[in-house]
Amino acid sequence: MAETVAEPFLKGNTGRNTRGILRLSILVLIAAAAIASRLFSVILDPWFNFRATKYLVSNGFYDFWDWFDDRTWHPLGRVTGGTLYPGLMVTSGAIYHALRALTIPVDIRNICVLLAPAFSGLTAFATYLFTNEMTTSPSAGLLAAAFMGIAPGYISRSVAGSYDNEAIAIFLLVFTFYLWIKAVKLGSVMWGALCALFYGYMVSAWGGYVFITNLIPLHVFVLVCMGRYSPRLYVSYCTWYALGTLASMQIPFVGFLPIRSSEHMSALGVFGLLQLVGFVEFVRSGVPSKQFGTLLRGLVLLVFGLSLGGLVLLTVSGVIAPWTGRFYSLWDTSYAKIHIPIIASVSEHQPTAWPAYFFDLNLLIWLFPAGVYLCFQKLADEQVFVVVYSILASYFSGVMVRLMLTLTPIVCVAAAMAVSSLLDTYLSLKSPDPADSAIEAGSNGTPAPSKKAAKQDGLRSMRQPLVGIYSTFSKMSVVSALTAYLLIFVLHCTWVTSNAYSSPSVVLASRMPDGSQHIIDDYREAYQWLRQNTAEDAKIMSWWDYGYQIGGMADRPTLVDNNTWNNTHIATVGKAMSSREEVSYPIMRQHEVDYVLVVFGGLLGYSGDDINKFLWMVRIAEGIWPDEVKERDFFTDRGEYRVDEGATETMKNSLMYKMSYYNYCTLFPPGQCQDRVRGVKLPDVGPTLNTVEEAFTSENWIIRIFKVKDLDNAGRDLASAASFDRGNKKKKTIKKRGPKVLRVE
Amino acid sequence: MRWILSFLLLGLLAVVQAASSSGDKLLVVIEELAEKSKYSTYLGDLEGRGFKLTYESPKSDKVALFELGERAYDHLLILPPKSKGLGPQLTPKLLLDFINAGGNILLTLSSSHPTPSALVSLLLELDIHLPSDRTGLVVDHFNYDTISAAEKHDVLLVARPDALRSDVKNFFVGDGKDGDVIAFPRGVGQTLGNTSPLLTPILRAPRTAYSYNPKEEVEGVEDPFAVGQQLSLITAMQARNSARFTVVGASEMLEDAWFDAKVKPSAGLTGAASDKAVKTANQAFAKEVTGWTFNEIGVVKVGKIEHHLDEGETELVMNPKIYRVKNDVKYFIELSEYQWDKWVPFVPAEGDVIQLEFSMLSPFHRLPLTLSSTTPTSTIWTTSFKVPDQHGIFNFKINHKRPFLSNIEEKNTVTVRHFAHDEFPRSWAITGAWPWMAGIAVTVTGWVGFVALWLWSKPVPLKLTKSGKKAV
Repeated sequence: MAETVAEPFLKGNTGRNTRGILRLSILVLIAAAAIASRLFSVILDPWFNFRATKYLVSNGFYDFWDWFDDRTWHPLGRVTGGTLYPGLMVTSGAIYHALRALTIPVDIRNICVLLAPAFSGLTAFATYLFTNEMTTSPSAGLLAAAFMGIAPGYISRSVAGSYDNEAIAIFLLVFTFYLWIKAVKLGSVMWGALCALFYGYMVSAWGGYVFITNLIPLHVFVLVCMGRYSPRLYVSYCTWYALGTLASMQIPFVGFLPIRSSEHMSALGVFGLLQLVGFVEFVRSGVPSKQFGTLLRGLVLLVFGLSLGGLVLLTVSGVIAPWTGRFYSLWDTSYAKIHIPIIASVSEHQPTAWPAYFFDLNLLIWLFPAGVYLCFQKLADEQVFVVVYSILASYFSGVMVRLMLTLTPIVCVAAAMAVSSLLDTYLSLKSPDPADSAIEAGSNGTPAPSKKAAKQDGLRSMRQPLVGIYSTFSKMSVVSALTAYLLIFVLHCTWVTSNAYSSPSVVLASRMPDGSQHIIDDYREAYQWLRQNTAEDAKIMSWWDYGYQIGGMADRPTLVDNNTWNNTHIATVGKAMSSREEVSYPIMRQHEVDYVLVVFGGLLGYSGDDINKFLWMVRIAEGIWPDEVKERDFFTDRGEYRVDEGATETMKNSLMYKMSYYNYCTLFPPGQCQDRVRGVKLPDVGPTLNTVEEAFTSENWIIRIFKVKDLDNAGRDLASAASFDRGNKKKKTIKKRGPKVLRVE
Repeated sequence: MRWILSFLLLGLLAVVQAASSSGDKLLVVIEELAEKSKYSTYLGDLEGRGFKLTYESPKSDKVALFELGERAYDHLLILPPKSKGLGPQLTPKLLLDFINAGGNILLTLSSSHPTPSALVSLLLELDIHLPSDRTGLVVDHFNYDTISAAEKHDVLLVARPDALRSDVKNFFVGDGKDGDVIAFPRGVGQTLGNTSPLLTPILRAPRTAYSYNPKEEVEGVEDPFAVGQQLSLITAMQARNSARFTVVGASEMLEDAWFDAKVKPSAGLTGAASDKAVKTANQAFAKEVTGWTFNEIGVVKVGKIEHHLDEGETELVMNPKIYRVKNDVKYFIELSEYQWDKWVPFVPAEGDVIQLEFSMLSPFHRLPLTLSSTTPTSTIWTTSFKVPDQHGIFNFKINHKRPFLSNIEEKNTVTVRHFAHDEFPRSWAITGAWPWMAGIAVTVTGWVGFVALWLWSKPVPLKLTKSGKKAV
């Protein structure tokens, strides 16, 4: 009955309108779902971006552009305006001012918190557009948008409060690709220019823009190699490259990199190649001679070879910056561990574990190859793009965990194509009329199997006039299985989002024996202590992981932070942490350190503490001072990393060890002192500290803050001063036979 | 007229507050109050200079250096106790805390009583060493007083000390009126560690003096504790917070008896003994040593510190928080020196300079300051320089530490930023950029010309050939 009622709305002009409205409302609902699923818990995370946004909003764009931040990287400071991707902050600032102009009073913090979910809605829409370019099926786009909206791989970086560059970058990535496909399809300068414009926006927002910079040329290169060169390709690529490069060079952090660094050379090379190919095509159209064509081909190869040689020469001579270490580590996963420990020390830069794929993408990961296969069936320019993107992103996501983010969109698109083609096939309830299909088959050019031939065939199933699955039951079973899968996917996404990706790193939650939730809030407690008890310009030394948080939540200058732009400075902190007090103290004095902050999880069993990260500090310091800090010295003779009685002398004397375990054993009855992370028993006599004194220890001992002592007022060295304070009398130097020590003035 | 009045007022103020620059509460630790009379002139001098004296016995319950965690006295004078201990209120740790809190201590020793162990270990912490038997006696067979110590040679007659180095101020040379001979009766000599930069001998023993243990009755001293100039008779220690600690080896030299005594120097190395008895300079010298210890002389005060841009701008912003690389900057510092009862302009010793460091991790500039002007109470020193081409957080640092002068350690932090985007010279101002700019101009005109040519070259209308086909 309903069908008959709905009939006029589904046919003809009205039908188109109805479908349009339906599609629109579905998209809006998808966007709403995408936003809603990101609101499990809200805590602003990269504090630096928030700080920068506040600076932008209160001081204006030009001050932000020229911002010199003297509260980080003490005493070097950071040319922040020139070393960040301003896209995120400028976007929030623009939204803020727009809302203000509309007389909607809104706090900049709320914008920052909700920016990522809002942009995830836009990403879903961009994915819809992108997928619609790939396939004729109208449902694929909607499915892709839905997948994109809730895929955990993307949610991981875009929950509310996750105010990082990726929050807007993924939208820009997908939208740039959509514009690129549009430009290639239409060969339009306008779409190419729009693509360049969004590429410029992307460059301003995330360092991952290099992915676009390499993927688009690769797409073009593959097309050219497949012999699919066309004026459309030429127009769209040249427009994108020229305008996009100019746009990217406007970002101070990028500057001249697009013409100086190897990462950008493929785009330049393909640009040159296209000119050559274009020229050859032009000449070929004018000169029909076949020999001339071969000659031209030779010329192309010659010029290509020459320019490649020139490129190599320029790289060797240093005009073009060679590949950066971060890039090498994309090809050789163990490269970073050996040469650039600072990169390897970040957990995001570790190779991806297999379960992560299923965890982040669930059913999409097995639908993904099917979708890519479907692309091969109708291999137009845009399908080639999907294939190239899939291969490249699959590889990169295997190298680094964080690059899972770039893989997610194409997985969503490919999976949506697979699901939609399945659904399109099995959802149509009607079995085709044998006669109709015979005509159809005939018109398709394939000879319809004659009944005779079918009869002669031995298989009973082939005796039917039509081959296929037409029974309602089989259709229903496939569709319902797929529906079940999709529902499970939704459940999985919700579960992952609420459990894994919505737990803020600064507040830890644990379950009490009775099942109630216990919040461990040591980080905020410690940062609040710093804020209220230390001087406004007290310099805090800690490992770089906590730099942004100290800068944002405690508002105190730090030596190093999560923007790891100066390896030497980080190594200096690593050296201070891993050396003896006598070595560390002058370093801390020189850097005007007032407090040292360490994270210690021994009491609670919190494994992300500094002792567990300690080897990275040692390695990074060793990279700069191989003679003074040696990783080997922190391992016992049997190669164990120990913190108990059997720890090496170097380990026991290191500042980090001493600060972590200082006074720790007073918590336990004698002989029962235990480290619950490492699961070892500690010696009863803890370390003594001479150059620093304990200033604060949080409730669960996670954060310990030590104050660096001033030089001794009476000119003694701090070890003997501390020993005097402990009540030890100085022994008179026993007279030795030999010359007396005379005072010379 | 006005300034005379203000001077008068200043003078009056000076008279009223004629005391140390750091407070007038002085605790005298003396075992028996009866002994006070022995030092009446000396203590009277102190009271005359405006100190408020409190007398306590070292064993007394009331002697407390700290009250509710705050320093109870500004200065401490310890006269040698007869007993071996000093009591629980004067432990080495408390005395050191007193110094750390900015209090000054004048410690006197005597060879007639063994030095309390608390004081020995305090001195040891400060790298000042006493003879191990605690009863060393300094004698000199060439520079003794023939009137009082003809036999034992244990009253040394020492000339006023010379300046430690040529570029160090000498506060102990006197004005020449009070004579030149200092009597050092029955004192304990100290040796100083070689590493501590905070220690300075005020008065050294003559080259022929030595320290020995009078209880050991041996003919000739085999292994004396120290000899000659290595023996310091009066030692000064100025802590990093400018608190002062002075050890006077002979408490007797502060007694009335030795303030008035006439002495007759023995025949020195030259062999020429003088026949004339002279009055000792002990009173004047004691005043100088005490005055120095209790912050009456040699105290340098930093007035205002100013720095500003020096690029000819009309509106000066004083002490900006931020500079740009390659800015020209001018720096001023105002210094006064306390002289007994008033602040006077500070001038460093001949051959000494005050230096300014502009540093981040290490100094980028180290510049001598020049005298720019003098006010009635202070001098103003200045220098100007170009900020280095390195952004970061820099310090204007004055680190002037000289023997006998209180430490000047001033740090003013400023941020040095990079060039803003609109502070670079414009491209057309750089001659090297002209070829590139010409290149841009040529490209632009070429492109516009080409487009114009393309747009305005009207295509030739197609002519139909006779056969009716289009001409290609």
